[in-house]
Amino acid sequence: MDVKETIFKSVFFAASILSAGITLFILGFMIVLALPILKQGLFFDMLTGPWAPDHGLFGLGPMIIGTICIALMALVISFPVSLGCSFFIGILNPRGLGKWLKKIIESMTAVPTVIYGFVGIFFLVPLVRELFLKGSGMCILSAAIMLSILISPTMILFFVQSFSMVPQNDLNAVDALGGNTAQKFFYVVLPHSWKGMLTGIILSFGRAMGDTLIALMISGNSVAFPGSVLDSARTLTAHIALIIAADFDSIEFKTIFLSSIFLYIMTSFGIIMSRFSFKKRKTINET
Amino acid sequence: MPMTENIKINIKNLWFYYNDHPILEDISLEIPQNTITAVTGPSGQGKSTFLMTLNRLWESIEETRIKGHIEIRFGSDFQNIYDKRYNVSDLRRQVGMVFQVPNPLPMSIYNNIAFPLKLKGENNKTLGSFRVEDALKRSFLWDEVKDRLNEDARALSGGQQQRLCIARALVLNPQVLLLDEPTSSLDDKSGRVIEDLLLELKKDCTMILVSHYLDQVKRIADSGMVLSDRQMKQQW
Ligand SMILES: Nc1ncnc2c1ncn2[C@@H]1O[C@H](COP(=O)(O)OP(=O)(O)OP(=O)(O)O)[C@@H](O)[C@H]1O
Ligand SMILES: [Mg+2]
Repeated sequence: MDVKETIFKSVFFAASILSAGITLFILGFMIVLALPILKQGLFFDMLTGPWAPDHGLFGLGPMIIGTICIALMALVISFPVSLGCSFFIGILNPRGLGKWLKKIIESMTAVPTVIYGFVGIFFLVPLVRELFLKGSGMCILSAAIMLSILISPTMILFFVQSFSMVPQNDLNAVDALGGNTAQKFFYVVLPHSWKGMLTGIILSFGRAMGDTLIALMISGNSVAFPGSVLDSARTLTAHIALIIAADFDSIEFKTIFLSSIFLYIMTSFGIIMSRFSFKKRKTINET
Repeated sequence: MPMTENIKINIKNLWFYYNDHPILEDISLEIPQNTITAVTGPSGQGKSTFLMTLNRLWESIEETRIKGHIEIRFGSDFQNIYDKRYNVSDLRRQVGMVFQVPNPLPMSIYNNIAFPLKLKGENNKTLGSFRVEDALKRSFLWDEVKDRLNEDARALSGGQQQRLCIARALVLNPQVLLLDEPTSSLDDKSGRVIEDLLLELKKDCTMILVSHYLDQVKRIADSGMVLSDRQMKQQW
């Protein structure tokens, strides 16, 4: 019994060390490979400058702007939809319908992103083109809409989870005092659950930034600085996928690693932030 | 036999179901005004459920169903509380409820008591603070909290919290007060304070008190009902 337990423990310990080690190793690996660029002191130039390999310019500025625009816009579109949906599931829940809707949304998380990409190409892109009569329809707006659908389930499930942690006693108090649903939501549900909701928003943002395929397929991948949401843009992830350089020593190739480092830092930052808010919430619940 | 003008609550052929499983079976009952009616009975027989039929609180619970008729006399006329045109918030402002476990909201003492006024949309500050003070006095809590109204209500003792919850229910001047084992989480002394308070409230309110303590029930209730086997039986 004890021996078994020790074995189990050490196996799990080794597994966690291994997976933590791998992620750190990847970061180290990328830094080493990007070192030549970093050494030349070009780091900030490359984060902000334009991309024009023919003129020797390898700035990632357009991709960073593109990534942030698309991810932020996806978040802005997804947030109200997710809020409404989770409100329906967790608060209104007419005739127990919320349970079923939640099951459907849970299954949405399993849809491969390439499917969203295809729906985007054959349905959304033509629609955006027809609607705005400008450009090819492959643009920030199309990618953001499709990404918002991709990240909504994450957000909705996080919101529903946070709502379900609101103490029933407090909900009863408001109900018994004649409060309506909206009042219950604003005075009791939100104050209890906004931290969990924030975690969901941060993780969804990370997901929107980290997704490759949707942006690659429908944002148009232009390397120019985008001027409007109807302009084509390229994300960092798509950039990494698109660089084809035969010469592994070229700066062009090395920018891949710089892109990766930037993405890595942004997403880790998000995850650490969300951990932080979760921890805080726990201590509040305990007191 | 009480006369009809003294009747406050009239329950006729009330059935209640969880998942199509009857909990209350054909209950008929008349409750006179300005009295305390005690409901006792074994655990899990539906005492809390019975209280919830009187302020429609069960409606947010899934897979529930009700049959029958409940009317409450507000003013001179009886109001069918399940009438489609009758607003449930209006009902709950006149039929207050106090729960077994005190449930102060995570806000200050003052804001807890003022909360029902806020929900109702009454924003007059002067009148509001007057009514908060009045409610705290009526629930025997004013002297203990008058110097710390801005402190978090959850810092109060259990008995104080329960009196706070009573004050919060009283601030809207309800005509009926439903009390679900209000003293069961308290020590004897705090329980006694609440009993005195309920006796004092009889002049304004009609109360239904669910209680496990027979001695408590004998001390303060005007009539005693026992709920068991889905039936309500008058004990005295
Ligand atoms: N949400 C629910 N779904 C299904 N059954 C329920 C639900 N709530 C209560 N019940 C059942 O209804 C019955 C009555 O419950 P209720 O809470 O009204 O009893 P009670 O008399 O107040 O008990 P106690 O003295 O323990 O408070 C119980 O048998 C319980 O199992
Ligand atoms: Mg009960």
